[in-house]
Amino acid sequence: MILWVKRSVAVWSGIFLVAFLYGHTEVAIIGGILNLAWVVDEKLRPTLRELIRPSMLIINTALSAYFVLKGEPPLLAVLIAGSSLLSWNAGLFLRRWRGAPLAVQYRYLKHLGAIIAVGLGAGLSALVLQGRFSLRFFWALLLMFIGGFLWLWIISKASRKESAGS
Amino acid sequence: MTGAWFLVSSLGLVLLLTGLLLKNATLLAMALPYFVFSLLPFWRGLPKTQWKVHRSIEPDHIWADQSCHMTVSLMNNGEDLEEVTLTDMLPDGIQVEGVPTYHGNFEAGKVHIVRYEIRGVRGKYEFPGMEIIINDLLEMNRQEEFLPSPGTLFVLPAIEKVEKIKISPRRTRVYTGMIRSRESGAGVEFFGTRAYVPGDPLRHLNWKAGARWDLLITNLFEQERVADVGIVLDARSVVEIRTNGESLFEHSVRAATALAEYFLGEGNRVGLLIYGRMVEWTFPGYGKQQRAKILAALSKSELGDHVVFKEFKNLPIRVFPPQSQIVLVSSLLPEDLYPLRYLRAVGYRVLIISPDPIAFEKRFLPQDEHTVLAEQIARMERNATLSKLRRARVNVMEWDVTLPLWISIRQSLVERRR
Repeated sequence: MILWVKRSVAVWSGIFLVAFLYGHTEVAIIGGILNLAWVVDEKLRPTLRELIRPSMLIINTALSAYFVLKGEPPLLAVLIAGSSLLSWNAGLFLRRWRGAPLAVQYRYLKHLGAIIAVGLGAGLSALVLQGRFSLRFFWALLLMFIGGFLWLWIISKASRKESAGS
Repeated sequence: MTGAWFLVSSLGLVLLLTGLLLKNATLLAMALPYFVFSLLPFWRGLPKTQWKVHRSIEPDHIWADQSCHMTVSLMNNGEDLEEVTLTDMLPDGIQVEGVPTYHGNFEAGKVHIVRYEIRGVRGKYEFPGMEIIINDLLEMNRQEEFLPSPGTLFVLPAIEKVEKIKISPRRTRVYTGMIRSRESGAGVEFFGTRAYVPGDPLRHLNWKAGARWDLLITNLFEQERVADVGIVLDARSVVEIRTNGESLFEHSVRAATALAEYFLGEGNRVGLLIYGRMVEWTFPGYGKQQRAKILAALSKSELGDHVVFKEFKNLPIRVFPPQSQIVLVSSLLPEDLYPLRYLRAVGYRVLIISPDPIAFEKRFLPQDEHTVLAEQIARMERNATLSKLRRARVNVMEWDVTLPLWISIRQSLVERRR
């Protein structure tokens, strides 16, 4: 399951990046090849895999930052950064524990999802506060729901932990 | 913290600094997901751990071609662990069948058992304990622990059967055994005759001698007793030859094992002295317990260098009972001649089992005229040393290690009868 999460997120971040790099052919090719290699890194040699994993994160981050500086849409840059982080961490998990039980995989995805959601939420909130993009009512409501759900989940978990401790 | 944490934190920091330098708020916003990731270890630390470990090696003394079962049970008395990697630290040279590691989650109060099989070449193997790596599922936080759970495995040298070795020490012990004692008494070997005295068994009367001397003559028999045998294993590095991964010393250990097994099997009191790095002395004794002690000592014997023990002149002969039998297993050096002659001169009976270093090394050399010439020269030198020892009435048995020991012993017995 995690393998497909990693692959699909990596494909999306690759597509976003290549779309982002429209007009910069050489950089787009390099970014595209690296992201493609990252999507199918299981087929590569372990040494190469170890090299590609951090390279993908570093280069995706650098390219996103570069295009932010070029004045491209900031929302996509934050999304690419978030999805790169997600697929990179999923790759780390797969390296350590490829055949993890389903329960562990769910737990891992929950942890990762929560962290990415909090990170992206913080990034996007910062952008909204800067007035870099205006949210429509529907999206604002959806984000509020997600935020509220996460808040409730964290509070309930903390209270469960406390009651178990006492 | 992990390498992954450093990467994410560094990227976040670079974005932050670039954003600050260029006064670009979007870069600051981009840095936030990275910072959330890198703050994770501070927000959610690793759980506290408390372990209880038990190791069992069954059996803990094995032969070189055997395997043994290793079981390490680990109980988690701390909190639930999301991801843990347990690795049993293995000594060098051990072969493992199975997996000496565990990777997975570990709930509180649960016991996990790591089971695998091991085998190895002759030696003493110390298992120090387990390495435990705990990390969170996102690999942002990591903790390494070492949990001591010592265990020792002895891989004993293989025992070769030896048929018969004739020794005749000047002094024997009081118990009945297989070695001729040079004293008359109950035995099977003819020793002499004397005049009959009342009380002598009638079936021992020598009728032919009686008819000749017109007296009642009775046969005497030689008592057979056990003796003190001191086995000396030469573990000096200077006598070692190691070629193609084969070691001459291993053959010496094999011979010493076979000899100890034989002499103990005959009921003798056997001691072992390993002479090389230091003097490792196994006090003489009888029976199965002594056998186990000697095998354990031989299993951990190693070659070594020491200024004092470079030559046999510092052999601590006082540890051997006077006039007892000494069996030396050594490929010998020319300078060993005088100390061994001295041993013979002070009353010890000395038998040398000498693994032939020339025959051992020759197998791995190209068969050309240079090798033949070199062999001839080395052989002449060795023969000169051995014949000097034989003239000093030291019993030397040369052993071509490509043949089993018992064949060499049998050949040497046949030669002696001639």
